[in-house]
Amino acid sequence: MDLFELLNFYVVPGIVLGSIYALGAVGITLIFAILRYAHLAHGDMATLGAFLALAAVTSLGVSPYAALPIAIVGTAVVAVGIDKVFYEHLRERPKIVTVMASLGIALMIRAVVQVVWGVDTQTYSRGIVRPEDYFGIRIRDREIFTILAMVALVGALQLFLTRSKWGKAMRAMSDNPNLALLSGIDNKKVVILTWVIAGGLCAASGFFLGVNTELKSMMGWHMLLPMFAAAILGGVGRVEGAVLGGLIVGIAEELSVLVIPSEYKAAMAFAILLFMLLVRPTGLLKGKVL
Amino acid sequence: MNALLSMENLTAGYGEADILQNVSMTVAQDEIVAIVGPNGAGKSTAMKSVFGLLSVRGGKMLFDGDEITGWAPNRIVQRGICYVPQVDNIFREMSIHENLEMGGFLKTGDLTAAYDRVYELFPDLKERRKTLAGSLSGGQRQMVAMGRALMLDPKLLLLDEPTAGLSPKYMEQIFQICRDVQDAGVAILLVEQHAKQALAFSDRGYVLAAGKNRHEGTGADLLADREVAEMFLGG
Repeated sequence: MDLFELLNFYVVPGIVLGSIYALGAVGITLIFAILRYAHLAHGDMATLGAFLALAAVTSLGVSPYAALPIAIVGTAVVAVGIDKVFYEHLRERPKIVTVMASLGIALMIRAVVQVVWGVDTQTYSRGIVRPEDYFGIRIRDREIFTILAMVALVGALQLFLTRSKWGKAMRAMSDNPNLALLSGIDNKKVVILTWVIAGGLCAASGFFLGVNTELKSMMGWHMLLPMFAAAILGGVGRVEGAVLGGLIVGIAEELSVLVIPSEYKAAMAFAILLFMLLVRPTGLLKGKVL
Repeated sequence: MNALLSMENLTAGYGEADILQNVSMTVAQDEIVAIVGPNGAGKSTAMKSVFGLLSVRGGKMLFDGDEITGWAPNRIVQRGICYVPQVDNIFREMSIHENLEMGGFLKTGDLTAAYDRVYELFPDLKERRKTLAGSLSGGQRQMVAMGRALMLDPKLLLLDEPTAGLSPKYMEQIFQICRDVQDAGVAILLVEQHAKQALAFSDRGYVLAAGKNRHEGTGADLLADREVAEMFLGG
């Protein structure tokens, strides 16, 4: 196998898949940093985002990319709503209660998606797209958009976290919640902000999975394990770590096909997850321990 | 004397147990007051109850004309009391400057004057303002913690064992900074393990034991008191 074959069939798809995982993993990592629990409904929230975009495409007749902002806003609103209706009442309880509740939320979201959009496979647009050739590297436009959108969204988030007053308040609450309270930072607002960001990125993750493959009601649930593997691999609480972890998990999954049957591709994420938890639970970039 | 803060017959604690029983104290404008006593005497509890961090079961607290018993911490901060906990009192993964910015979170508008005032008190911090607070030495961390609390221009600063674990050199420096803060018109109530040094430098002191008031007086009087010396100060 030559280098271009390796790049075109494994590395490029791996980076695209990794970018999709990264968008979800960033949300998982933020939720853990601020609220200190593992959010198991994250995958199904991504499914919801993907189907909200589909609804915009079919009902408004807009192009999929124009539907993305609608899906981001819609999913962010749903995420804040779920927190208000369910998770907020569990804040004082042990965290495992909220983790289990989030599993229930995952099932509820999936059921709603199946009732509204059915269980059949759907797509944003029909037809086969041929990849363009750039000096031997073959890549489709939608793949370029996926990678660029991930970089732009995460870059904007990083700017927000390091430059703006409320972004810094989010970091302060992640760093030392007690002192944040003593400084007069309103933790309720920080929590809402966290859900807006996590929900929005989640929608983008589901949307780009739908753009690059198909829409299925189980699409997000199947991403949950790789997204958690990415967040833990990068270091929980570290945004840049979640991106790094996402890319590594995505590329590792695609490369694994070279040595194991492709049906076992998903086992790669599981192997990375287990390995990191055993060997270095703080992740590559020294995060919190989940 | 006009009291800025007064605790009257305060009873407070965690869970079932009352750690403080009928404790009364006052802090006047521009005064440095130390709370000393053996381990487990309720020194830190007294401070936390001022700040609304645990349930007050009896008595009341007045601050600058308002009854503040039972207020939430962020309301107390806004009213003019800032608190520096003994441990975990900085944002480790944020720069010195960002720590101060978070201290001034509730202030609307320009923070320049507040930064200038804090950096004037702690010139060392100004030079290293971009440094992550978690990478600093113990003494410098304490300065960041105090600087953060001073950003809102409080009338009263609560310090929980500000010199715990510091070398004598830094202890002197922290005490000197306390005096500078006092000169800037801020009253200080501090809990101290180093009773001798703390009483020597404070205007007044309270000796707590087993959750009750034992002695009170000027720092010099308490130091001269035989009983106090034997009980808590090691003779």
